[in-house]
Amino acid sequence: MRKWIGIIGALALVGIVVATLVYFFVINKSHPDYENKKPEYFMTAEALFASFREDAAKASEFYNGKIIQVSGQLSSVEDTDGQTVLVFALDQGMFGDEGIRVSMLEAQSAQAVKLTPGQDITLKGFCTGYNDTDVVLNHGSIVQ
Amino acid sequence: MKKIRLIAFAILAMMWTGSLNAQKYMTKNGMIRFYSEAPAENIEAINKQVNSALDISTGDFVFRVLMKAFEFEKALMQEHFNENYVESHKHPNASFTGKVTNLQTIDFTKNGTYEANIEGDLTIKGITKKISEKGTFEVNNGAIRGKSVFMVTLSDFDIKIPRAVVSNIAEKIEVTVDISLQPLNN
Repeated sequence: MRKWIGIIGALALVGIVVATLVYFFVINKSHPDYENKKPEYFMTAEALFASFREDAAKASEFYNGKIIQVSGQLSSVEDTDGQTVLVFALDQGMFGDEGIRVSMLEAQSAQAVKLTPGQDITLKGFCTGYNDTDVVLNHGSIVQ
Repeated sequence: MKKIRLIAFAILAMMWTGSLNAQKYMTKNGMIRFYSEAPAENIEAINKQVNSALDISTGDFVFRVLMKAFEFEKALMQEHFNENYVESHKHPNASFTGKVTNLQTIDFTKNGTYEANIEGDLTIKGITKKISEKGTFEVNNGAIRGKSVFMVTLSDFDIKIPRAVVSNIAEKIEVTVDISLQPLNN
């Protein structure tokens, strides 16, 4: 009898440990640490924009959902509704500038708004895709 | 003579483009939020990188939404949304192409809040449905803020909810649109 109680107790304990691990590491797992995540691709802003322009479907397969590091000359800094966006304008379309738009992490905003258009910078961010005008990177951070 | 005609044509073209752009408003930082209220849990996701353009002379109104730009509170929900429900690897964009149908009742040159009727094609997951919704345009010193709240039925866009999580996700989700449009100046 005592042996069975011991077995059931051990199984219950294993169950609780597994349930706790599943809760914390699967159901309630945290978002990636974008600021410290290593980029999977390194390229110029021009090269990234050109690959989406040439074949958006193919580029989406490569880059969407990946951390990409891009470098280039900063065109503008937008700061609206508490959201800072750094822009590499690479073309002109029906709705104005088109290029790479990097929406910065909140923790990076204070540093990002001090950047000046015209300076060379390197940023990284999570690629959400191409919307027919711009390639959009989210959770952006300044590399240098 | 030919040179003068060419210069005159170029000036006319510039004026024409200018007058057209004066009628166009746009944003690349529009917000769309969706909210699902279900017995087991409420789920909210926000996208703040929505492209939108409005032509106040014709009423043409368009949206372009990157599905991967929706942010969820829980990382797992975000994964399921992209991988299982909207399949954003296959359909990275959602879009709306339509018109403001009561343009004559809105004075975009005068500050105020105006009711708007909007009709058009909503495309999610590659499926297009006609929608007709109400919203408001708030005109304030040359800027236009558009707002709307409406319901979307997931099954209309082939978004299937597995039985195991049927109590976690509503069949109809509430969509909130909030965009601040600025005049297009190029």
